[in-house]
Order: sequence, then C-alpha cells, then structure tokens
Amino acid sequence: MTPANSSTRTPSPSNQSPRQPRQRTAKVNTSGLYNRAIRDAFAKLNPRLMVKNPVMFVVWVGTIITAIVTIDPNLFGPSPGHNLRLYNGLLALILFLTLLFANFAEAVAEGRGKAQADALRATKSDTSARKVLPDGTIQEVSSTALRRGDQVKVIAGDIIPGDGEVIGGIASVDESAITGESAPVLKQPGTDIASSVTGGTRILSDELMIRITADPGKGFIDRMIALVEGAERSKTPNEIALTILLSALTLIFLVVIAAIPPIANYSKSPVSIANLISLLVALIPTTIGGLLSAIGIAGMDRVAQFNVIATSGRAVEACGDINTLILDKTGTITLGNRLAEEFLPVNGHSAEEMAHVSLAASVFDETPEGKSIVRLAEKLGATVDFDPNKAEGVEFSAKTRMSGTNLPDGQEVRKGAVSAIKGFVRSRNSANSDLSELDVAYERVSRLGGTPLAVCRDGELYGVIYLKDIVKPGIKERFDQMRRMGIRTVMLTGDNRITAEVIAAEAGVDDFIAEATPEDKIDVVRAEQAQGKLVAMTGDGTNDAPALAQANVGVAMNSGTQAAKEAANMVDLDSDPTKLIDIVTIGKQLLITRGALTTFSIANDISKYFAIIPAMFSAAGLGTLNIMGLASSQSAILSALIYNALIIPALIPLALKGVEFRPLTADQLLQRNVLIYGVGGVIAPFIAIKLIDMVVAGIGLA
Amino acid sequence: MKLKLIDEIPVQVVESAVFLRDELRKRPLPLRLFLALCFNLILAPTVLAATDGAISRVNAYALGILALVTVALAIYLFAVMLQPERF
Repeated sequence: MTPANSSTRTPSPSNQSPRQPRQRTAKVNTSGLYNRAIRDAFAKLNPRLMVKNPVMFVVWVGTIITAIVTIDPNLFGPSPGHNLRLYNGLLALILFLTLLFANFAEAVAEGRGKAQADALRATKSDTSARKVLPDGTIQEVSSTALRRGDQVKVIAGDIIPGDGEVIGGIASVDESAITGESAPVLKQPGTDIASSVTGGTRILSDELMIRITADPGKGFIDRMIALVEGAERSKTPNEIALTILLSALTLIFLVVIAAIPPIANYSKSPVSIANLISLLVALIPTTIGGLLSAIGIAGMDRVAQFNVIATSGRAVEACGDINTLILDKTGTITLGNRLAEEFLPVNGHSAEEMAHVSLAASVFDETPEGKSIVRLAEKLGATVDFDPNKAEGVEFSAKTRMSGTNLPDGQEVRKGAVSAIKGFVRSRNSANSDLSELDVAYERVSRLGGTPLAVCRDGELYGVIYLKDIVKPGIKERFDQMRRMGIRTVMLTGDNRITAEVIAAEAGVDDFIAEATPEDKIDVVRAEQAQGKLVAMTGDGTNDAPALAQANVGVAMNSGTQAAKEAANMVDLDSDPTKLIDIVTIGKQLLITRGALTTFSIANDISKYFAIIPAMFSAAGLGTLNIMGLASSQSAILSALIYNALIIPALIPLALKGVEFRPLTADQLLQRNVLIYGVGGVIAPFIAIKLIDMVVAGIGLA
Repeated sequence: MKLKLIDEIPVQVVESAVFLRDELRKRPLPLRLFLALCFNLILAPTVLAATDGAISRVNAYALGILALVTVALAIYLFAVMLQPERF
C-alpha cells in the first residue's frame, strides 16, 4: 500500500478518463408541470402558507381590502374619482394576479423538484434481500424489513437492498441508477473508498456480503428525495437575512403609506384606500419577495442535478462564500491510478533482484498501486518463492508509512516512503547503510512528479519504485477560474516535497502541503478558519472525517466510508473530487441570483414613484412629475401595478436557471450586476409602464 | 341523589368555560379577532369624533378595523424581523 497518500483510490472509469461532460441523473418527466403549478398557485393562497412570506402576505391583505372596496367604494369614506367599482375591481384583480404569479413561481420550482424526486423514487424498488441470520442461515426478507446492522448477501444480478458497507467478497456494481455513470465500479471490503454501496444499485458479477448502515427511509436516495422535494427545506441564513431586509422595507413603506391620509386630507387632495394600497404594493419589493423561495429551491435542484446530496440549503449557500479549497493530490488533482512504471535498483542490485523483493513486499497489497507493482515485477520474471500462507502481511499505516511482508524464514521485506524505509534500514543495519544512491533515485523520481517507494529487505536497500501519476487535463484552467473568483486552492499530499512541488506547479494550485498526515488535514482547515476564511474540502477516508466535519463545506465521496459521509455536509454520488468546484460555482450562482433580483426589484421602485406619485397628488401640484406622460391618474396606477404583476412571471426563467455565472473578481461582478440589474431595473420599468399605459388608455380601461 | 336543574347550571357553565379555554389555547386566532372587534367598539367612536361628523358611523367602524389591520401588519412585520426562523 502506498504511504504517499493515505487515501488511495480504486481506479474507476470516472477517475481514469479526462474530464467528461457532467453525468446527470435521468431526465425528469416535466409534463403536466405547469398545470400542476397553476393548481398549486391557488392552493398556496391559504393564509397559513401566505404568512410565511411577509411581502406577499401584505399584498394578500391589500387584495382583500381592495376587493372589499370594489363592493362598496365608499366604505372607508367618500372616495374621489369615477367608475370606482370598475377601477377598484381592476386593482383587486391585478393584486390577485400578483399573488398568483408569485405562488406560481414557487410552485414551478417545487414541481421540478417533485418531478426529480419521482425520478429518484423510480430507481428505488421494494426488493427482496437475503438476510444472513446470526446462525449463518439465509432468510429472504423484503428490503423494507432490513435495519441498520443487518447483514445481507447479494449475488450477481441482485439489486442492493439498502445503503451499506461491504464486509466480504468482491464484485462489480452498476451505479447508473443513481449516478448515471454506466461504467461499473469495483466494490470490496477493507479499503477506505471501495467498501461503501448505495441501495438501488445492481451487482453485475460475483457476490458481496453487506452490512446495512441505514434504516428504511433514511438512506442516501431517501435524503436526496427529501431534499429535492423541499419537504424538509428550511430557510437558509442568506434567505433569512434577505427576509429581514424585505420585512424592514415593507414596514417602512407601510408606515409611510399610513401617514399619507392625514397629510393628503389636510392638503385637500384626499387619496382613496385603493390608491394607497396600490402605492404600498408598488413600493414594497414584491418582485424579489415573490421569487425568493423559487431561487432557493431551484438552487437545491441544480445541486441535485449534479448528483450531489446536500444535507441542507445552508451547505449549498456556504459554498458560495468559500475562500479556500483544500484538495487531495491523488485522485483529485491527478488521475489517481498511480501505476508502477519502473524499478530503479541501487547499491549494486539488479532490476530482477529488486523485482523479486518488490513482489515479496506487495503480495498482500490489495491496492491498485500494489497490484501494479506485482504486475511489473512479474514482467521482469519475479516469482513468489515462499508460501504466502506461512507469511504475514504488514498493512500500511499513516504512522509507519510503509507496508510489506514478514517472510516465513524471519526476513522482513518492506516498501514505503523513502524516509520511513531509511529509518527501517538504519534500525536493522545501522553500520552499513549507504543511502546516497537512494537519495539520487528518490530525487530523480520526484523531479518527474512521480511518487518514489523505497524497497528493502531487512537492513538491505534494494531500490526505488517509480509510481507515475498524471495531472488531470483541464485542472489548471479550473484552478485559474477559482483564482479569478478569489478562491485559494491548497493541495494536500502525503508525497515528498519535491514531488508535491512539481505537481503543484503543473496543476497551478496556490499552495501545497507535502508529507501531510491525516492530522495535518484538520490542522490546515483550522489554520485557514482562524484567519476568518471559509474552507471547503473533499475526502473519502475515515481519517478524513474530522477534517470534513471541521470544514465549512465538506464533500464526501459516495464510494468513501460511512464515517466520511456522516461527517461531511455533502455527498457526491459520482465520487468525483473535482465536483467541489462545480458546487462552489452553484453556491455563488445562487447568491448572485438573489442579489441581482433584489437589486432589480428595488431599482424598479424609482420608476414606479414617477408613475404613481404624480397621479395620486396631481391636485397638490405634483402632476409636473408625470415625466412618462401617462394618460390619466387611474391609468398610471393601473399600468404601474400591471407592470408590478407581470415582471414576476417574466423573471421566473431567470430565477430558476440562475444568473449566468462568470468567474470574475468580486468588484467586476458587482460592477456588472449593478449595471445590468440596477441601471436596467431603473430604465426598464419606464419603458414598460409607458407601453402598458398606452394599451390601457387605448382599450379605455381608465 | 339527582341534582336539581339549579345545581346543574353552574356545573355546565364551568364545563363550557373549561372547554372554551382549551379550544382557545389550541386556536388563539378566533379569540384575538373577537378581542380586536371589541376594541374597535372603543376605537370607532374615537375616529368618528375625530372626523367631526364628516364620515358616517359605518365608515368610522370600517376605518377602525382598517387601523387595527394596519397595526397588526406592522406587529407581524416586526415579528418577522425579530424571529425570522418562525416563518
């Protein structure tokens, strides 16, 4: 087993090939989505639901009052104007449509989530399972009868009945039901990353013994379903902050509107209640108030479409504010399938001798690196010349940083980190340790960016194995993108400094930490957080769990251990560590979309002032502010409210899709968004309200 | 011994009161609406007096309720600002 990086990787197709287009879950069925959304829009008019959205609840109350004054226009006192019933009725209708459009936006976002949840549910099936009883016999039970801790046996062709950990056997598993990736993944016990299975996937060959790790309804697919359905959705910190802002603005405008009647009456230009409500609805940020929840739900759906299960919206939002990204080298930045490329013998030994010793040291090594060493050694004619049943395998540990075999004749063969092997050799043969050739070979491999593994038998050094690793294509460009976004990338590796430096320079990371132990990972996270930074990291091994829990955003690989998945706040079903970059992008896009639409909503108010205020206070001399040249006071108010209502469905596609993400600096993003959504939010309503006014006046509605 | 009617009435009143109290604890909104309407009985004559007869009694009661609705909305918005996680 390699000492260089404690999280080894089982080579899977997704890790081996260059970056593929993102695999998505199966296309969801969105037929009937809009019809259902229209029905749900009416259902959401229930006051118990409306009260959760303060801005739209105020509109809801205003609609009811306007409907009442439609029936009796003089209910609150004599009202100026003509055709008041028609006028008030139109206002009530427009306000009602405003509510419906806002509810429709939320219903469409929820509907897409529900369709996705239905597609995920279809991958689940109530299967039968072969439960292994304590006495060793096998009993056929339904998958819903399985509980955490139960052991089941699955054979080729079976559907895995629940999330679990492989405790015996070795098999290929088709995980396309949840990941969309059709290439099978090898599952086997004992490794940190290939021992975890997900319910609903299918075994293709051989058999596995699995210990169930989740009760029915609590598995990863169930959590994903709950997440995309929004059943367990609660407001995220950013949403809460925005809700407080919107409530404060609404309260301010409510107080202002409530103060107008005495002033208006005093200045002999009384304003009707319907007009006051119209002014209130035009002033409060109804656009962002109506679209806020749709933006949040759509953001969670986008994460789910990337085959990532997030435990909460808070985790997705935190991604948007990440400052530092901590990534493993092997399998994240590099392809990860380090293979033995060459034997470099030292101290007068031949390549065949070295192959012989390397084979002996790797015979119990089940990792891909170990198997590649065995293959390379066998190519050079090496054979196992002892009885493996009488030998003892020595497992790799992060502490010793080496592994090997204790041979039946008492000899100890080891392979591992050069420094660890040096120490081993010195302890066995302190007098005759010539390490100069070893250092030369070590440096040569390191300068190539490879991982050097020293090999010895007792106190005798045999040479260095060159494990070749390749930086993933396209990774440098992704890190450049991150840098432009203000995110610092740190590479953590157990490799030596020279190798780490070469790989770091090739991959373009901002910093690297070499010869890192599992304890170093959590220390790095803490050090960054102590500087006030938000840290994201990926991991899959049990030794990654503390760091994943400590990080602000921890992404565990689905192929990782249960401990890692429980510690993290996201699980990537594709087990692709570079997906963290996509998740950060989605988080930023979510925050940018909210900010952009909030800016647009507040900017709209400016033009609505110029529409409604002159219309309401023309008798008080403010008619000269009618710069849009609106036909009449009633048409001006109607036009402003019609625009207010129509802008919500017009922005639904943007809310659901999100503002297009550009990897720019914060200043550039701010400038761009202020220009488009701020200035655009001021100018667009002027044009739109004027056009609507021409139509309203032309039809003769006011 | 069979209770006389005169003895049963207080028992029934107490039982009804207890029932109402339990129901109102579960659903306080009807009580609050009722109390608001009762408060309007004080508020509306004040509005009528303030407008010096310019509006009718019906208008005064309607304006009283509108004022209470406005105050309730303001309290609701304060509650959202102070305890947003409740909503």
